[in-house]
Amino acid sequence: MAGGPSTFHFKESATILKATGRSARNLRELREGIGRAPEKSIFHHTYEYFLNDFVLQYTNDFARWAGEFLEERALAERLTSIDPYESGGIEGVRKAILDVIDRYMEEFPAPRDVFPENEFYFNENVVLVFPVGIRAENLAEFLMAIKYVDPASLYYHFYDARTRLGGELNDFSAWFADVLGKKELAERVGLIDPFVHDLERIRGLILREVEEEVRRDMEGQP
Amino acid sequence: VISGYVGIAPKGDLVLLQRLAKKLRGKRLLNVNSTRSGGGVAEILGRAMPIYHELGLDARWEVVKGDARFFETTKRLHNALQGKPQEITAQMWEHYLEVNAKNAGRLDLAADVVFVHDPQPAPLVRYRDGGKWVWRCHIDVSKPQPAAWERVEDICRNYDAAVFSVSKFARYLGLDQYVIRPSIDPLSEKNREMEPEEVKSTLERLGIPGDRPILLQVSRFDRFKDPVGVIRVFRMVRKYNRCILVLAGSSADDDPEGEAVLAEVREMADDDPDIYTLLLPPGSDREINALQRGATVILQKSLREGFGLTVAEAMWKGKPVIGGAVGGIPQQIVHGTTGFLVYSVEGAAFRVRQFLNNPEMGGRMGESGREHVRKNFLITRQVRDYLGIWYAMETGGAMLEV
Repeated sequence: MAGGPSTFHFKESATILKATGRSARNLRELREGIGRAPEKSIFHHTYEYFLNDFVLQYTNDFARWAGEFLEERALAERLTSIDPYESGGIEGVRKAILDVIDRYMEEFPAPRDVFPENEFYFNENVVLVFPVGIRAENLAEFLMAIKYVDPASLYYHFYDARTRLGGELNDFSAWFADVLGKKELAERVGLIDPFVHDLERIRGLILREVEEEVRRDMEGQP
Repeated sequence: VISGYVGIAPKGDLVLLQRLAKKLRGKRLLNVNSTRSGGGVAEILGRAMPIYHELGLDARWEVVKGDARFFETTKRLHNALQGKPQEITAQMWEHYLEVNAKNAGRLDLAADVVFVHDPQPAPLVRYRDGGKWVWRCHIDVSKPQPAAWERVEDICRNYDAAVFSVSKFARYLGLDQYVIRPSIDPLSEKNREMEPEEVKSTLERLGIPGDRPILLQVSRFDRFKDPVGVIRVFRMVRKYNRCILVLAGSSADDDPEGEAVLAEVREMADDDPDIYTLLLPPGSDREINALQRGATVILQKSLREGFGLTVAEAMWKGKPVIGGAVGGIPQQIVHGTTGFLVYSVEGAAFRVRQFLNNPEMGGRMGESGREHVRKNFLITRQVRDYLGIWYAMETGGAMLEV
């Protein structure tokens, strides 16, 4: 049974890295690289950062490199505060990052090189999207499924969806609101901060909201 | 074969493997390298082939044959591509191409995708017989000797794509260049689960006492692995901590430099009863597995490194790891999350002391490390990536529905 139009089909995305051949040893070279990198590369280093299972200190690869390898913590902090979903698409993200770097370089104009082998490498991804064979017809089934799916599936529906659907929407909230008519639940899940949790924590938070909703339904509460 | 990975590898990887195989079923995949045994490439190919077959792919593995002169040339080429000055005469180049031409006549190169591993068989691409050809370069060619690179570049331009292990090992060839990180097989003798009794008895057999914390480094006796530096780390750590050091490496019989390094290590150890230098024969996978499982902290304090899969092996056993920030080690160690990256003997010693005195932190990072390996460095992910590249090359595009 493939399920009807109201069925939520869990999907997942897997990525395969492609090297662009570009790299940077210091902030000036990073700035040049960001200016010239293909959109797919900017997308990979910002939006796809959340596929990592160690996201807590930074929100994109540029911030992580600035913090971990350039050891420019103030710059890392500013780059981390860029919200890719509110920057007007990839070109908007590129501009926001360049603005932060330009301002920083006005304050600190002499960038130092990183240790050899710690250069920043501009990459991009080939993305393979596939159904994982798990689906939900209602909230109770969703509750079971969300416990079981891989973190990469959470990434696809909670993060990647924002670039597909635009703005702050995620696939889960869209399904809760549009198919199940549960607008409040959709809003509560939409309010989960995507920048401060790893995927397992995101799973826990969604689970908590859905469990609460199922409990209310069972108890007949509004 | 694949069912063995259920419950170990991420579910999504296994689903995607099946889906990609369904799309590619009946098509022919060919791997070509220069040896059937010995070395990481042959090891992983040997373990990947049964997976390809079980997925229903017509997969073959061919090996180029050559004489001593051919392999002397390819050894020099290998070194030159990694930046070491080497003399490769015009006659040697000619012989290298001739041997490949003979192999092209002997081997069936017809396939839908051909993965050619490393420089030895690279010229086979001149005899391609349809299909997509991918040069799989396992070595770091980022700073090669220019003359050697020029020749290889000329050959490799005939490929459809290249694959490197890490972005920083790559050199631009004007082709699509993918990055596939190497992997470990969780079902192999070196990485399989082991009961504590087996760990204990293996360590006893190796003469390693179990009454104190064990610091371990597993690597060849090679200056780039800095075993002498590891002894200095141990001496700094021991000032405040009771522990022993185990340096375990393979035999250095065929490597004159290896013997010299081993002599330096023994001199530096100076008959210290708490330093155990183990020369393990090839194939000591069970012993390495037990040593890694019995260790308290595992080091890979390399000064220069290829990918450094011993780090993933250690992390797979849930151990806190400390590694030099070189080669592929920063890909595996997320500093402060799955272990620590270090740049000096002093830095390594400080991190060892932190782990010894804070076992809870070590346990937490060890667990994160194991999960990081599970998601990123298992053979199922690597096979998935090869099939993914093949599928992407067949269909085109950067976002593919499978």
